[in-house]
Amino acid sequence: MQLPSWAALGPALVLALTALVLLGLDSIDPDSTHSSALAGISALGALSALGLAGWYLLAGTGQASTGGPILLYGDALVVDGMSLFFSVIFASVAAMVIVASYDYLKGRTYQAEFYSLVMLAATGMTLMASSNSLASVFVSLELASLPSYALVAFLKRNEGSVEAGLKYFLIGAVSSAVFAFGISLVYAVTGSLLLSDVASGLVDAGDFVGVAGVGVLLIAGGFAFKTASVPFHFWAPEAYEGAPAPISAFLSSASKAAGFAVAFRVFVEAFPIASVVPMGIDWPLLFAVLAVVTMTLGNFAAATQENVKRMLAYSSIGHAGYALIGLAALSQGGPNGQVMGASMAHLLVYGFMNTGAFLFIALVEHWEVGRTFEDYNGLATKAPVACTAMTVFMFSLAGLPPFGGFLSKYALFYSAVQGGFWWLAAVGAINSALSLFYYSRVVKAMWIEEPSTPFELESKPVGLYVAVMFAAVGTLLLLPGFGPVVETAQTAATALFA
Amino acid sequence: MVPPQWYLLLSAAVFCIGLFGILTRRNALLFLMSVELMLNAANINLVAFSVFWGNVTGQAFSLFTMALAAAEVAVGIGIILVLYRNFKDVDVTKATTMRW
Repeated sequence: MQLPSWAALGPALVLALTALVLLGLDSIDPDSTHSSALAGISALGALSALGLAGWYLLAGTGQASTGGPILLYGDALVVDGMSLFFSVIFASVAAMVIVASYDYLKGRTYQAEFYSLVMLAATGMTLMASSNSLASVFVSLELASLPSYALVAFLKRNEGSVEAGLKYFLIGAVSSAVFAFGISLVYAVTGSLLLSDVASGLVDAGDFVGVAGVGVLLIAGGFAFKTASVPFHFWAPEAYEGAPAPISAFLSSASKAAGFAVAFRVFVEAFPIASVVPMGIDWPLLFAVLAVVTMTLGNFAAATQENVKRMLAYSSIGHAGYALIGLAALSQGGPNGQVMGASMAHLLVYGFMNTGAFLFIALVEHWEVGRTFEDYNGLATKAPVACTAMTVFMFSLAGLPPFGGFLSKYALFYSAVQGGFWWLAAVGAINSALSLFYYSRVVKAMWIEEPSTPFELESKPVGLYVAVMFAAVGTLLLLPGFGPVVETAQTAATALFA
Repeated sequence: MVPPQWYLLLSAAVFCIGLFGILTRRNALLFLMSVELMLNAANINLVAFSVFWGNVTGQAFSLFTMALAAAEVAVGIGIILVLYRNFKDVDVTKATTMRW
């Protein structure tokens, strides 16, 4: 049986439909107390999107084996291996965040809005990964951003949450204006917004190369905001610290991956290295500089933190630096598909381990244990299972050998060395070694230190536990399963360069 | 016909005025207005070069930009309202419970 071509957008359609169903339910019964029904519907939607995306990915939809990318709606959207790979990341992070939110939202109002905003943001991210025109890139980026602003400021009586939402919104609004101006300059030079037509239009830019260069720079700025990279990173520590912890998990994993998804496609398709670098628009060099600065800044700032959530926020900036290697270590004729694929695989592993770490913070916030490293002292005596999971996340984030994070970082640095960018890999390796210092502080506090005041953990929130365990199992399973994952990612990325 | 370079100069000027406003204003509402200026600088380019290239892509996209700007302001005003309720001010530098 042949599915119609629009069915290739299935994951995005399911997520959007779930969001609308939740909004509909909310307008019928605004004071609904059926929080398990709402969480169940959202989790079902996210898991069906995950199933669809995984099925398409395995069946080879939009890949070379079944006739190449599927173009939809006047080529504005495209479904290929890369968009499906990223859809899997977004849907699995959304599912974990929703299951964890069930306990986090207990006793709060506006639950239906919360879930539907999460689903809308996930729809926007999935569409970002499928965008094939600068117009759909901008619209889907805003669809992912606007619900995120509201979600960060969701605890409207909490000063920290409101402050975080304000800073996220202000910097987001500026960066989207910068991004739109960049798009308008590129349109001015090329006369088109479709990525492939932009690439062919740039070839005869003539006297307007300077304008095109400024446009590319501004577009890169817009992506730097979405991925929390230097120079638009300074919203991230505030937003992640102040936001409800499940939302911090969602933003730092899925939203970051969405920024990379769209940056990968736009820069490879619209600004091909072979034609723009000789014109003087050397964007791989720009990203190489940003990658080095981002990982160094993120890791050094993380090492000086006292608050665990803020430490994770800076570590998430550091990881954006590692993933930027996927855009930096590219060269004409180099193993570009390998480099970018390794970066995609790292983002998948990161999606599990980082979401898990933030959800553990949500669990600790639920118990009302404090936020600093000292407050975590001796936590393992009371909650050994959750602390074991957190230990897995920390060591995996640091890149220690028996965990998923080791293989993904290894593949990333190895491919960078193969591409001739050994210095990028060296900076990355030094930063990873430094990161072990602050990640192990958490582990030391939980397992070795004695608690200063004995604490009582009165409840065992099932949803949070399930989500944290799911993330931990995912992180561990990605160790034996990393081979197929990186192979899929590298095939998808290579198809992009073809 | 006005040469296209003039439109680029005009839009760059509007963009820079908006950027200047963002860097100097502390009132959240004026900050939003400055962002609108920057977005409209993009619209000037889109509409002008839509005529220059003879296709309507740019004009259609400028409508999208306006709609998104409106949506962004709707969310932004909501956040500024809760900012006012919590901090009794719309000064963006007043909200500092977390250190930078």
